[in-house]
Amino acid sequence: MVQPISGQAIYVVLLREIKRYWRAKPRVISSVAQSIFFLAIFGLGLGNFVGPVGDVNYLSYMAPGVIGMGLLFGSVFSGVSVIFDRQFGFMKEMLVAPVSRTSIIIGKILGGSSTATIQGIILLVIASLMGAFVPSFAFIVGSFAAVGAMLLITSGFVGLGVAIGSSLNDFHAFQLLSTFVMWPLFMLSGVFFPIDGAPFLLQVAMLADPMFYGVELLRWCLIGSGTAILGPLSWLISLVVVIGFNALMIGLGTYMFSKAQI
Amino acid sequence: MNKLNTIEVKELTKVFDKDVKAVNGISFTVTKGEILGFLGPNGAGKTTTLNMLSTLLRPTSGTAKINGNDIQKEPDEVRRSIGYVFQDTTLDIELTGKENLDFHGRLYGLDRVTREKRVKEVLELVKLTDRADGLVKTYSGGMKRRLEIARGLLHHPEVLFLDEPTLGLDPQTRRSIWEHILTLNEEKKITVILTTHYTEEADYLCNRILIIDSGKVVVLDTPDNLKARLQGDVVSLTVKNQKLIEKLRPNLENKEWVHKINIVAAGNNYAAMSRMMHVTATDSSKTQTKSESKNNENHKTEKNLQLDGKKCPRCLNLLLDNGGHRIPEIVKIAAEAGITLESVELRKPTLDDVFLSVTGRNIREQEGSFIDMVRRHRIMRQARGKPRR
Repeated sequence: MVQPISGQAIYVVLLREIKRYWRAKPRVISSVAQSIFFLAIFGLGLGNFVGPVGDVNYLSYMAPGVIGMGLLFGSVFSGVSVIFDRQFGFMKEMLVAPVSRTSIIIGKILGGSSTATIQGIILLVIASLMGAFVPSFAFIVGSFAAVGAMLLITSGFVGLGVAIGSSLNDFHAFQLLSTFVMWPLFMLSGVFFPIDGAPFLLQVAMLADPMFYGVELLRWCLIGSGTAILGPLSWLISLVVVIGFNALMIGLGTYMFSKAQI
Repeated sequence: MNKLNTIEVKELTKVFDKDVKAVNGISFTVTKGEILGFLGPNGAGKTTTLNMLSTLLRPTSGTAKINGNDIQKEPDEVRRSIGYVFQDTTLDIELTGKENLDFHGRLYGLDRVTREKRVKEVLELVKLTDRADGLVKTYSGGMKRRLEIARGLLHHPEVLFLDEPTLGLDPQTRRSIWEHILTLNEEKKITVILTTHYTEEADYLCNRILIIDSGKVVVLDTPDNLKARLQGDVVSLTVKNQKLIEKLRPNLENKEWVHKINIVAAGNNYAAMSRMMHVTATDSSKTQTKSESKNNENHKTEKNLQLDGKKCPRCLNLLLDNGGHRIPEIVKIAAEAGITLESVELRKPTLDDVFLSVTGRNIREQEGSFIDMVRRHRIMRQARGKPRR
């Protein structure tokens, strides 16, 4: 039986995500702080040692990737929070209500995406203050485009998080998740080193990482250039991949969630 | 469908993992405005039945209708007309009480004006108006439970499911929740199904009680009828040690005014009766008439019955008539046998006795896995407002 999609349900799930995010101030602050440390210590420290990457200095090169890191972790954990909802029983309240699971998922994705994007914007501001970007009109336009990109990127990863959270039954799998999924996704996304000079196998791994394309997209928006390996249209390729990944992940997440038992 | 029946259940069955029959062909009906209690030990199938009726779980077979809506064919209509207060807390503790209620209201499609009005109404009903803007994690166990009941009522359901509503709460809070439930039922004519393993709760609140064990309906009747099946009084005796019991028993056994006699389970005298009547698992629709019960009662071939489980070897229970008048005689018999009685207790059969007699088990000797036990323990701690360890 097809259940209608309820705007109220979407709104309220979304609202709940944002309220919960905002109320967990320590968590917000520590994840932002983590990224600041990365930027400051690696960007400045390693930057001096490594020198410029292409025509930008290391800090500028790293910044989009660090923002991407914030987005990645924020969105996946937001999606995986369905497992908490299930364990702590709140999910039952949602499931016994006359709303379709699809509405719940859409709300979750929009909510998770919004909160992760807020985090990304905070990081963007901080990175700008640290001098990572060249202030110019192009940059301003690029920033808006970047926010759009953030929303895009995060929705896909929230979907991934929901898919994982719906199939896990306990918290211990979290450790595994973090180590074997999150960190590789992050490290292979081209945050620390460009794909261009890397050994072949590493390049393959990086090209298989969806986050790579997300970071690439951000880099285009904020710095105006990307990596050489994908050519001058790399922004377009990245955009297409991100959208495709999104569709896939949202579909997967919705499917897994609809099959999950209480 | 009989218009007066709000709930109709036919042969509802749920099988988990190919083998585990959590619910095994349950059938019953509930009339509008009735409070029906599911009484049974942990693992009996009470929660699973509620989960099926509330469309959270798909039945393996069987059908059920709530307010005329089939649970499998019209789940949305069913969900709209029921409220479910779960056994564990399903509140979002990071939101305020009011926000939890607002959330619920939106999920059930209430428009803003209605929502605001009803939120106020239910908060007043459960007396949480002044704490409504605090985060739920600051609430005590009793407050959380009251909020959940308030939430379950927000959309004015016709049927309310309460799963162990007073589990783990202190006596005062339990009383107050009982009064809430009764008031609701009287004022709003809400049909209620509540599950519990507290026999005194079932006795106090329910119009009828369905005793469920191992997924099957064992008996369905009013509390008074159930207790009436155990005719007579119970006199419980304790002596110093087991040897003395062995000495005392034969002297009482042969008395024709003693209907039954047995050795009691450890600890709680209340839960310590053995089979007092022969009731086999019946179809719920078949309730025994008074004459049928009498016939079963006369089936006392075995006067001496033993209990499984822990025994209190120095305790003895007698089922007889006119307990008060027989006590002096019992004391005399004991004295003549040279035995000093340590204590004598006289009481009417309780629902605990009824439960034990129909299922052969003490409701408080919970079987059920270790996980179940840990989980129940956690629920009780949650209910008392204690933090998670």
